[in-house]
Parts: sequence; structure tokens; C-alpha cells
Amino acid sequence: MTIPAVPKLPLFGDYAPIEGTYDEFFSATGQSRPEVAQLVRALDRLGQREFQQRQQLANSAFLNAGVTFSVYSDERGGERVFPFDLIPRVISAQEWDRVERGLGQRVQALNLFLHDVYGKQAILSEDVLPARLVLGSSGYLERLRGVTPPGGVYIHVAGIDLIRSPTGEFLVLEDNVRTPSGVSYVLENRGVMKRALPSVFKKLHVRSVDDYPTVLRDTLLESAPSSAPARSSTPPSPDSPVRAVVLTPGPFNSAYFEHSFLAGRMGCELAYASDLFVRDKKVYLKTTAGPQQIHVIYRRIDDAYLDPEFFRPDSLLGVPGLVSAYAAGNVTLANALGNGVADDKAIYPYVPEMIRFYLSEEPLLEQVQTYNLSRKPDFEYTLGNLDKLVVKAVDGSGGYGMLMGPTASESERAEFATKLRENPRGYIAQPRIELSTAPTWCDTELAPRRLDLRPFVLTGKKVWVLPGGLSRVALGANSYVVNSSQGGGSKDTWVLGAGVP
Amino acid sequence: MISRVADSCFWLNRYVERAESCARLASVNRLLVLDAELDSAERWKPVIVVLGEQARFEELVGTDHYHDDDAALEYLTFNQKSPVSIQSSLYWARENARMIREVISREMWETLNTAWQWFSSKAAQREYKKDPSQFYRRIRSLCAEFGGISESTMLHEEPLDFMLLGLALERANQTARLMDVKHHRLASSDRENVETPWQSAQWISQLKLCSAEETFFKRHRAAPTGRRVAEFLLRDPKFPRSVLHCFERAAELLENIEAAAERSAPTASSKAIGAMLEHLRGTKISSVLHGGLHDELTRVVDTVVLVGEHLHRDFLDPTEAPEARPPESRPPEPRPPAAKPAEEVQPAAQSQSQKQGAAE
Repeated sequence: MTIPAVPKLPLFGDYAPIEGTYDEFFSATGQSRPEVAQLVRALDRLGQREFQQRQQLANSAFLNAGVTFSVYSDERGGERVFPFDLIPRVISAQEWDRVERGLGQRVQALNLFLHDVYGKQAILSEDVLPARLVLGSSGYLERLRGVTPPGGVYIHVAGIDLIRSPTGEFLVLEDNVRTPSGVSYVLENRGVMKRALPSVFKKLHVRSVDDYPTVLRDTLLESAPSSAPARSSTPPSPDSPVRAVVLTPGPFNSAYFEHSFLAGRMGCELAYASDLFVRDKKVYLKTTAGPQQIHVIYRRIDDAYLDPEFFRPDSLLGVPGLVSAYAAGNVTLANALGNGVADDKAIYPYVPEMIRFYLSEEPLLEQVQTYNLSRKPDFEYTLGNLDKLVVKAVDGSGGYGMLMGPTASESERAEFATKLRENPRGYIAQPRIELSTAPTWCDTELAPRRLDLRPFVLTGKKVWVLPGGLSRVALGANSYVVNSSQGGGSKDTWVLGAGVP
Repeated sequence: MISRVADSCFWLNRYVERAESCARLASVNRLLVLDAELDSAERWKPVIVVLGEQARFEELVGTDHYHDDDAALEYLTFNQKSPVSIQSSLYWARENARMIREVISREMWETLNTAWQWFSSKAAQREYKKDPSQFYRRIRSLCAEFGGISESTMLHEEPLDFMLLGLALERANQTARLMDVKHHRLASSDRENVETPWQSAQWISQLKLCSAEETFFKRHRAAPTGRRVAEFLLRDPKFPRSVLHCFERAAELLENIEAAAERSAPTASSKAIGAMLEHLRGTKISSVLHGGLHDELTRVVDTVVLVGEHLHRDFLDPTEAPEARPPESRPPEPRPPAAKPAEEVQPAAQSQSQKQGAAE
């Protein structure tokens, strides 16, 4: 019997970008961009049917590996696989170089800002930004003024959310300098990608992301208090007498998988708050061999739940006395306490000014125009134009508590208007940016879907940027919200090595 | 290592061993009850009783369902409300593994997670209906795979020692319980060589329940008698599931753990194991059979529980250690549920310690 020859359908056959947006793969005239040209040819050769099979393989790899996140609204408290799209997002070496420098600059300025507002407050006395905004921020911890963490490092780990404007330029959308998550998916995505599309991967010089846990471990150990035992080797080894742990809220936290993943890859222990206690302003871990002193805590718990003695006496969560140990300089918290003031969304409009003030440089990365609702003209403009704007709570994250004006209903907008009148300091507004799109597999074909990029920046004795980051993609055709908690998915992010177009 | 982690390691392997044991029990008894001579109440009641599940079974399934193969197998296999079901054991094994994913190897996690995904799938249901023997065999293979991968992918140090300690104690526990299924027959046949073919068949099924058939015949090359079977399962030094062997293994592992945790004096846990070993080695099998095998088996089960309690005080709750007793160091949160074992199952007859096990 003869098998009828089925013509292989090229993968990108009918793909067409959305008008008025920047597509990561194709120009408005349908030409593939130079950095993806080779990838597009390779994927076209693979064909639709084969691609679909590889996509299924990737899905089951994630399920079997248990690479999941928990969803709070899900009543069964279920774990879900973070949807993964097999078409990578590609960034050229040249473009990444600019982004990398811009990120380093920004994190450095934010770090100096924290050092300043918890110290001399020069930026306030020189009126570069309004003191009431800073001191009135819910993330600002007045009681910690005068406490300087080892090396003056506040932001050991930053996740800076970038988007690409319709002109193709990267803009900073949001800074995350408290407990940014997502890096484990970057590493897992890469692993699955190599398994599912080895031949395609081989053709391009994609920069490795596997170093991240090692660099993170070194960053943490480097940041140990000076009172910690001297390190015998540089870079620090796992046998270092300096002890670091990852502190997690536990298996019910949405990012638990990541906490466990990073602890495992760094070779340090994953602790719950109940595994730690404080005596004489020192932190100890409860082990089978008795209490052992801990010098560095990579904590993935929000400030408010770290220490009931300091934050909320009624709480049962946290490690009583932890802040006193931190203030006494006996333990390093990564990230430091009180960072929320630096990623307060009402402070965000002033970051370019911070860069000029602290570094005497011009910002390398642009950011999104922002209306500060505590200013009267901004407030009135926002209320009059809610149908055009995106409104966000200043201390929100994860896509919770925001209003997408253009797609919201009349009553949702009215509800938000009431909230804004009650608490103007609590919100900011931004025009909705046409996020860039990338080809994404949607059941039967590739279609353009909007995406952002969260690169990760580590700061110890120096600043290091992970090549790439987490590309999050909004899976709905008309969706602009990429958060995993809101039905987003992710893509592997390829930063090409120098010398590749 | 973190005490909480040690606790999860210990329970992780206990649950895997329980899943394996329950799969074996279900598949063996399933074939056993096909023998026409068993009257209907004999079919599943002894099994449910030794698992300590009589009350719950009668409440959830009914008092008159001991002859109902499907109902009994469902109870032992998929029933979520039954703490002894394979479903429950695999669930808790995976939950414990999930809590210590950074401690166990990736392969171990993936083996367990894949097993769980399969067990919860329609494919597993289909296989269960179509070929139950194959279904149970697969569960036992997955458990064995987990054990094999653990030993070949983990560092042979404290975390693995806690896991293997859990395994050893759980095995002793399971063997003692399964011996109790037919204890009245074992005890009543002290006379050598006067076994009817029917009785012989019963001893063979007893051996099968404990996965001991082949090994028994390698050791004895003679017809199984109650006395030989009891002797073999209780204290053959080389049979991996004998109570003696399991306790010897537990003693070795505990020695490693004591060294790693820098204990100079023997802990209460190791004293309890030592006392059990001394008892097992020093007692004549005939006096055990005369004195009541059931009491002897209850003693084994109770010792396993006691050792668990001592382990908790010795290693798992260092706030009890004299050196470290800060007032604020009680675990403030409710203990994560995964570390909390399902209630410890008890033999049916009123054992003096019906209620322990909540100790964890």
C-alpha cells in the first residue's frame, strides 16, 4: 500500500503580525528579522505536524517533572503546569548588550536610593523627589533607618519587567526588588527546549543560563555579615563555613517549586520559618545535630511575614526576633528589609531622576509614562480617561488588583474610580502600551501573542545580569496580561552570542 | 540536616513501602479468595482487620461486604477516605517528597510524580479493570524503582539513612501485620509434619503475602509448617522482610545517623531497637507460639511506634534538646500536613496502644 504524500506545512505559512504592534519575528512587510531568520527556516523545515508533536512532548515533560505553580483562587489548592510555548523569543547580541547595561545601571541606582533613604536621605533634602512620597510609602520602614546591610547591598536579586514598544524599543514597565520570582522557569524551559528541539537549538549560539544558581550562591555568600566565619576559598564553595538557607513560606506558596529548585541547585537548605529560631540576636537552624547558626537568608517571604515581633504581633508566621538579628548585623537578608519603597509604583516615575542623581548618567532604558494620582492634574486626567489607561495599585504585584481600562466594563471602571478617590496615593495610571507579539502555538496554528520579558539581575560585590530572562506571554488573543496567576504562559528566551546576526 | 526534612525523609519511604505492601496484599489475597473452601466472611475480613480498618470499612462500605471482592479491593486501592489505600500512601509519599524536593534527587521526584500521575489517570483505571494482576505488579515495580533510584542517586549520608530507617521499620511493621492475617492458624499448628494439603496451601499463601515464598523454599526445601513459617518471617537473619532483619538494619542505620548528628551516647531510639533485637534473638519460637503469636506481633508493631516517638524527641524536635530551648521556638505554624502521617494503623485486637501515632 502506498502512503499518499502529505505536503509538509511550513510552520509560519499563514502567520501574520497584528497591525500597529511590533512583532518579535517579522517586520510589518512580513520579512523575518535577522536574528530569527535561521530559526524560522529550521522550524519551517520541521513542519507543523512534527512541531505539534514536539510541543506535546514538552508539555508532558513539564507535567512529569512536576514543574508547577500553585494558584490561590483554585479551591482545590491545585498545582498547575505553567503553560510553555515551544517557539523561543530571540534577542540579538547587540540589542542584549544595551539592555544589560541599562539593567545594571537601573539596579545600581535603585540600590543607592535604598541606601540613601535608609541613611542620610540626600535625595530628599535636595528635593529630587518628594519626601512625602518616600516616607509615606507602605514599603518604607522608618524604624530601620540607620541599619545598613553588609556591603550596602539591598537588592541582591532584582527582576525588572521590560516590554517592547511598537517602535521596537525596550521599556521598563515595572521594577521588582522585593522577592521577584520566575527564574526557575527560565532554567526549566531551557532544559525542555533542548530536549524537544535539539537540532534547531544546535544551529544557533544561544547563551547559557545554567550559571544562575551558582552565581546566586556566590552572591549570597559574598554578602554574609563580616562577623561570619572567614571563607577559605574564592569563589566560595559549598563547604564554606558561611551558612545560607532559602526561606520559603511552604508548599502552598505559588512559587514553592522555585524555592525548592533554587535551594537544590545551590546546595543549600530550604527552611520554613518554623525551622529557624533566634537566640541572643543570632539565627539558628533546627537540625538533627542541634541548632546551627545561619549567616545568610535568601528569603522568599514578604517583609510583613518575616518577624511577628517586628511587624505584626498577632501573626503566627515568621521567625520571632529575626529583625533584631538583622539590625544587629548578625544575619544578611536577601533581599534586604524595606525594599518595597524602591519598587513602589508611585516612586517608579522618578527612577530616571535617581539615575541622574546618584550616577550622573543618562538612563539607558526608557520607561513608560506614568500618572501619579497624588498629583491633582494627573488625578483628574486619569479619572476622565479611565477607558484608555491601565491603573495599578502602587504596592501590587502578580497582576492582582489592577484595572485594564480599555477592556474593563463600565461598572468595573466606576468601582475603580471610587477606590481612586478614596486613596489617590495608592494608585498610578499608565497608557496601555501595545506590547510586542511573538508567534505562539495556539491549538492548531501559530498566532501572534503579546509578551513581556523579566530579566534577573544579581548584585553582590558586582552586578551580574542573567542572559535572557523569563518571557511571559498572554495566551488569549486580546489579552495584555502575562502573569502566570492570570493565565499567562512562558517561552524560552534566547540571547544570541556575539558574532551571530 | 533540618529536623523537619529528616521527618519527611523518614515518612516518605514509609509511605512508599506501605503502597507496595498494600498492592502485594491486594493482589495475593485476590487470588487466594478464589479458593472455594474459604467461607464468605473469610474472604476479606482478616485483611481489613489486621490493617486496623474494621470500623472504618464497616462505616464506609458496610458490615456485610467482606465477601465482596470489588468493594474490598476498591477500599484498599483507590478509596481516598481509607488511610491504608494505595491512593493515600502514594499521595502522602508524593506530598512528603514535594516538601523535600531539593533534598531528594530529581530522578526520585520524577519517578514518584510520574507514578502518581499514572495512578490518577484513566489509563490506570482501565488497566485495573482489565488486568488487576498487571496493575498491582506495576505499582510494586514503581515502588521498587523508587527504592533503587534512591540508593543510586542520593549521597549515602543522613537523608538517605533516615529514608532507609523509615523503610526498615515500616517493613517490620508490615510483616508483623501480615503474619497476623492468619495468626490463629499459625499458633494452632505447633505440631510438625501434621499438615493437611489445605493447611500447606495456607502457609504458602501466608508466605506469598510477605513476598517470602521463594526465599522460604531456598532456606527450607521442605513443606511449610506453621512453626517454620513463623520462624522464617519473624527472625530469619537473611530474609529482607523478617522482623529480625529489619530491626538489625534499623540499628545499623541509626548508628550512622547518631554519628552524623554527633551523638556520643546511644539515644533512646537505639535503646528501644536494641531491646527488641535482644528479645527477638533470645526467645524460643515454640514459646512464642504457645504464649500467643498475636501478642508477639503486637509487640513488634508497638515497638515500631515507640521507636518513631523516640526518634521524634531524639532528632526531629531539637527544641527539646537541653542546649536550645528558646521560648519562642515552638513551631508557630500548623505543621505542614505532608509531614503528618495518616493515623498509625493498628492490629484489630485491642492493643494496649490503640491511640499512638498521632505523636508525629
